[in-house]
Amino acid sequence: MSSVPAIEARGITRVFQSRKGFFYQDVTRTEALRGVDLTIETGEIFGLLGPNGAGKTTLTKILTTLLLPTSGTARVLGLDVTKDTERLRARIGLVLGGERGLYNRISARENLRYFADLYGVPLAEREKRVNEVLEWVGLTWAADRRTEEYSRGMKQKLHIARGILHRPEVLFLDEPTIGLDPKSARETRKLIRSLLGEGVTIFLTTHYMFEAEELCHRIGVLSRGRLAAVDTVAGLRDLVGGDRTIEAEDYGFEDSELAAVRHLPGVSKVVSEEYGPVTRLTIRVRTGDLTIDTVRQNLIGHGGLQVRERRTSLEDVYLDLVEEEAR
Amino acid sequence: MATVSVPRAHWSGRRSTLASIRLAVLTFLADPQWLIPSMIAPIVFGFVSFELFLGTPDLVVYVILGAGMMSMWGQTLYGSGWATGQDRNIGTLEPTLSAPTPYVFVVLGRILWNVVSGLIGIVLVFVVVVVATGTVPSIDNPVAFVVLFVFTMLTLAAVGTVFAAAYVYTRYAGFVQNVGEFAFYIGTGCMFPIVILPFWTNPIALLFPPSWALDALRYASIPGYVGFSWGLGWDIVGGVATTAIYLLIAGIVFKRVERHVLEVGNLQEY
Ligand SMILES: Nc1ncnc2c1ncn2[C@@H]1O[C@H](COP(=O)(O)OP(=O)(O)OP(=O)(O)O)[C@@H](O)[C@H]1O
Ligand SMILES: [Mg+2]
Repeated sequence: MSSVPAIEARGITRVFQSRKGFFYQDVTRTEALRGVDLTIETGEIFGLLGPNGAGKTTLTKILTTLLLPTSGTARVLGLDVTKDTERLRARIGLVLGGERGLYNRISARENLRYFADLYGVPLAEREKRVNEVLEWVGLTWAADRRTEEYSRGMKQKLHIARGILHRPEVLFLDEPTIGLDPKSARETRKLIRSLLGEGVTIFLTTHYMFEAEELCHRIGVLSRGRLAAVDTVAGLRDLVGGDRTIEAEDYGFEDSELAAVRHLPGVSKVVSEEYGPVTRLTIRVRTGDLTIDTVRQNLIGHGGLQVRERRTSLEDVYLDLVEEEAR
Repeated sequence: MATVSVPRAHWSGRRSTLASIRLAVLTFLADPQWLIPSMIAPIVFGFVSFELFLGTPDLVVYVILGAGMMSMWGQTLYGSGWATGQDRNIGTLEPTLSAPTPYVFVVLGRILWNVVSGLIGIVLVFVVVVVATGTVPSIDNPVAFVVLFVFTMLTLAAVGTVFAAAYVYTRYAGFVQNVGEFAFYIGTGCMFPIVILPFWTNPIALLFPPSWALDALRYASIPGYVGFSWGLGWDIVGGVATTAIYLLIAGIVFKRVERHVLEVGNLQEY
């Protein structure tokens, strides 16, 4: 047993310079990552959430040696991602997914054989391993078809098969279920979860809250190149003010009413949003004492008042965190 | 103290090169008809030079070298770099680089395959010209010709490796190569001996390994050929030396280039 974390990043920044214009004279600087610290333990499934352009793919590529950080250090399995690249690449897997990234004119089996060779999967074991991963992702039936005939979901499964071909100890997946129909997405999640049983540490990025909630032990919310929070789902709920949310809706509320609700014991946060003529108050509740009725009593005189309670969703948490970071 | 035992990556350069050749062959076999368009120009050139040089001792060399080098350019040089551009376009460059094997072995495999497919092209041109004209040109010293021909192709492969590095380096390498193509045909002497070009172009041409090899090939196959004054022997020495330098440059450049692309972050293109 070693105590080395699977992933350890310190102060990672990354700046992109892109050039435009006839003489490439216009330089645009993009700070994709602005100081990311992160530790992920062996055997964990870690999910990275964040809006478009937050830097999720950039961080994934830095951790998988495909991009150098502008500053900061990162170690995966104790190996420096900028120096021990060769040894590290043999021990980690990367699934970038999507329609691209496969040799389309040849079969899935030949794609896998090729990468098995580049990864140095022992030759004696190669055919067995290729069959094994094809079986595991359920593509045995289409193994000898050209991948240009594959559907999006089949390609995605093939990407995952390629990612685990060489039995990596850490697997990185960038938006593994994007563009998949619900059934394929569920199958893909099942595959990812089953890897955990084999001791693989998993780092994934996603835009789907339920996916992160369903799969991940811990979640990081990346916003504009910074980690706004890293915690378990429960921990994140706490962070944004409790796991109970009460919603009250009617045609407008008085400021005094709003203030009254805000000052009720146990209320940690109240957000008021307009939906056409309807105003919705979203009330985050920290303790169990405050009930729907208490809220109702403070909003007397609203004929059409609707009050309901639900569990604070990861989406609530996410939106709160991303909003705070953006302010 | 817990020490982490780190197993060495057990990739092998030879196996990766073979895998790359296999991939190239499979891709070729999937659509072999793609060879035809790249053969049209060489075949046309073959006919023209056949007419031009009919009855002269230079016939074989010009038909085969001219047409052959055209097909070689397409296959070896263009093909090797192009495949990398293609890797970038279809998104396979990232998965390939995320494997522990250095990319140079993948490129090497492709170049070796391209040399072979370039040869197929030359044989094709030769057969078409022979069948169409009903003349079988005779070769003065067949053994020397074949040996030097293979040597010429290896010098080309060395140039191809450097070109391929340029393709990894930037997405715009294709532009430079297209412009350079014509200069290459003429400058290295695959169309006609470079000694007849203005003198100042010669030193530049000599920077290209194939120029030396082609001059050697002419010495060996054309009776009474007058090329570089230093003669066949030194042509071979020069060819070997420049090829070695190119391979060395390719080795260094590839290491640098692989690092550079990780810095810039231009592995993908959408
Ligand atoms: N190669 C590149 N050159 C220039 N800018 C880049 C490059 N790659 C990413 N960026 C910029 O860096 C920022 C972060 O991009 P990144 O792809 O990491 O975001 P992301 O969180 O993965 O977004 P998405 O959810 O859309 O996939 C963006 O502003 C993007 O435009
Ligand atoms: Mg992304």
